[in-house]
Amino acid sequence: MPSKTTERAPAERPGRGPHRRGPFARGPFGRGPLTLRARRARTAYLFLAPALLFFAVFYYVPIADVVHTSLHTGPRADEFDGLGNYVDAFDDPAARNSFVVTLLFTVGTTVGAIVLGLGLALLVNRPLRGRALFRLALLVPYLTSVAVVGLLWRNILDPQLGILNRMLREFDLPTQQWLNTAPLTTLVVITLWQISGYTMILFLAGLQGIPEVYYEAAYLDGAGSRQRFWRITLPLLAPTTLFVAVMAVISGLQAFGQAYIITNGGPADSTDLYVFHLFNVAFRSRDFGYSSALSVLLLIVIMVFTALQMRAGRRREVRY
Amino acid sequence: MSRTGSPHTPHDGSRAPAPPSRRRVLALAGGAAATLPLGGCGAGAPEVRGGGGGGGAGTVSVYWNAGHDYAAYRAAVAAFEKEHGVTVRMQKYQWPDMRTRILTDFASGNVPDLVEEPGGWTQEFALSGDVLSLQDRLDADGARMGYPDDWQPAAVRHNEHRGETYGIQLHQTCSLLLYNKAMFRRARVAPPTTWEEVVRVGRRLTTGDVFGIALNQDQSYAWPWLLQNGVRLYDPESRALLAPRAAAVEALRFQADLVHEHEVSAVPTPGTDYSGPQKLLSAERTAMILSGPWDLEPIRKSSPDLELGVAQVPRRRRRSTVLAGTSVFIPAKARHPDLAWDLVKRLTTLRTETAVTEKEGMLMPRRSWTSQPVVRDDPVTKAFAEGLTYAEDPYRGAYLTGRYGELSVDLFRNLYQGVVMQRRPVEEAYDEYVSAGRKLIRG
Repeated sequence: MPSKTTERAPAERPGRGPHRRGPFARGPFGRGPLTLRARRARTAYLFLAPALLFFAVFYYVPIADVVHTSLHTGPRADEFDGLGNYVDAFDDPAARNSFVVTLLFTVGTTVGAIVLGLGLALLVNRPLRGRALFRLALLVPYLTSVAVVGLLWRNILDPQLGILNRMLREFDLPTQQWLNTAPLTTLVVITLWQISGYTMILFLAGLQGIPEVYYEAAYLDGAGSRQRFWRITLPLLAPTTLFVAVMAVISGLQAFGQAYIITNGGPADSTDLYVFHLFNVAFRSRDFGYSSALSVLLLIVIMVFTALQMRAGRRREVRY
Repeated sequence: MSRTGSPHTPHDGSRAPAPPSRRRVLALAGGAAATLPLGGCGAGAPEVRGGGGGGGAGTVSVYWNAGHDYAAYRAAVAAFEKEHGVTVRMQKYQWPDMRTRILTDFASGNVPDLVEEPGGWTQEFALSGDVLSLQDRLDADGARMGYPDDWQPAAVRHNEHRGETYGIQLHQTCSLLLYNKAMFRRARVAPPTTWEEVVRVGRRLTTGDVFGIALNQDQSYAWPWLLQNGVRLYDPESRALLAPRAAAVEALRFQADLVHEHEVSAVPTPGTDYSGPQKLLSAERTAMILSGPWDLEPIRKSSPDLELGVAQVPRRRRRSTVLAGTSVFIPAKARHPDLAWDLVKRLTTLRTETAVTEKEGMLMPRRSWTSQPVVRDDPVTKAFAEGLTYAEDPYRGAYLTGRYGELSVDLFRNLYQGVVMQRRPVEEAYDEYVSAGRKLIRG
């Protein structure tokens, strides 16, 4: 949208041309009035400053500190150890186990979040009675904290005193040891129960952004509902799918509460999620250096996964 | 930020200051907002006002277990506050949260003045130099407070490191057999006294969805059986881990068999706490559990009509059970160590101990406590007091490896849960544990 300032801009740019010195350039000898571009840049930086300060203090400085700590060992992480912690990480069966467990968890929650979220979005995108209530009900678990969800499901799944087995008993069905026989799958299902409402909302927004005219054109060309889904809906939802996939992978790799609240990593480390594992390395084994190295490795893995996903997603982007 | 010039005011001061623009006001407001979270960083950190060291006005910061906020301790703290003119700030935590907190405090150097710990931390943190040695203070005050003569020897040993005392035992507990008297009466059986009887009695008591015994998902509850078979976590002299092997394998297999072979116990469910068996006993879904006095109050509260019995643990090669309990220590960098020491003395008097037992049923480490009427006249407390005479610390010796956490929790949980919950072959799981443990100790 053109503004008054923009219209006057060419007349207020004495710093352009051979004397241009970047966004903060002033007049000759740096003493003249600021150019419009420089004023804009300065305003932008001033507005960005609080956020940058916040990120620096709460993200970048701690990340730098974690990298620094990862090069040290001992209870206080004060003995320089070079890359020793990183070497140990690749040789540690417990770290490997937790990484594999976390990958499986991430695959399960990511695929599940996309399939369930899209399915639910398609369902609530139709004209249904009480649609708003249905959407709200599906979103409520996402608004609940992991701690509450964890405690809730622990009580539901308790093999002796839980509601689920009690119901099975009522119907003369065999009871199940949910957290013993398939603990990781159970955690995936609980996580999907919690996050599917959120992914549904994202897909719903994506669905409502697809112009109706494409469907009408396809319909006139004789495309059936299945063809319309595969040829129009799914390709045009690619940006949403990419976003959901990236966010689900990141949150899957960073999952902690499920193991911390529900299973404590058990039975026998079968749900020892990576972040839960590195938390225990730090606060149970008091090995902050090694724990920091595990954190840095996770950061790298997340960055690589995200970059790969973004690249793959961009290649498949479709425009009509 | 030293620069104060606005976009309208060059920093050479050649112009008169212009009133702040809307943009600048917004930018400053944004900056101020960003500093708010920084101000919150110190929230909850140990706070000290006024004089430090030995006394004067100020705040004495104490980390305490959330379940041990007893009236007798509150009374002792109130008297302490009145006499010294200080405020005691009792910050209550569950053990895992307290550990996270205290380790963070050690790293920052901003520590509380006194910490209650669940057993093992005193030696572990003494090893890393984070705990104050109490030896000088005990040399001065020990005789008056009856230390060490009036404390159970195990309680004294439990808080020693390289010949010096670093902590004082606050509670001393042990695990015994808690059982539902009515269920035993109906099945016409008596509490088991041997492992064979555990199986036999368990079978008599198991009917439908009620089990004779309930094993705990928490690995530490495996130790009574291991101790009864003469197993120790670590022997510093021979450097043997979980030895003797045959006895350890047999004790682990016995527990797995209770679940899978004899089917007298439900499969324990993985989780974050150790209250599963207590809930089953309260709900009359199991007839007996191995547990300590910490489960008495929840059982009485949730099932006031339940006829609760307490029996000594079964024997195998010998009678033994887990010695547990809490200690208090003063961090090396505490700002008020002398005040903290005075508070320790008040919290561990025989009078306070007796009052806590009377109101809460908690067990205590003083020898003279065992002869108090409150112990002698209560059958439950008396039974636990008897248990204390043969209870043992299974981790003794392991604290000094510097790998106590991994050996007793992480790796051992893997072994116990693998065998009891997932039916892993015992020998294979055992060998894996020992191999990983040895590697850890070697560093």
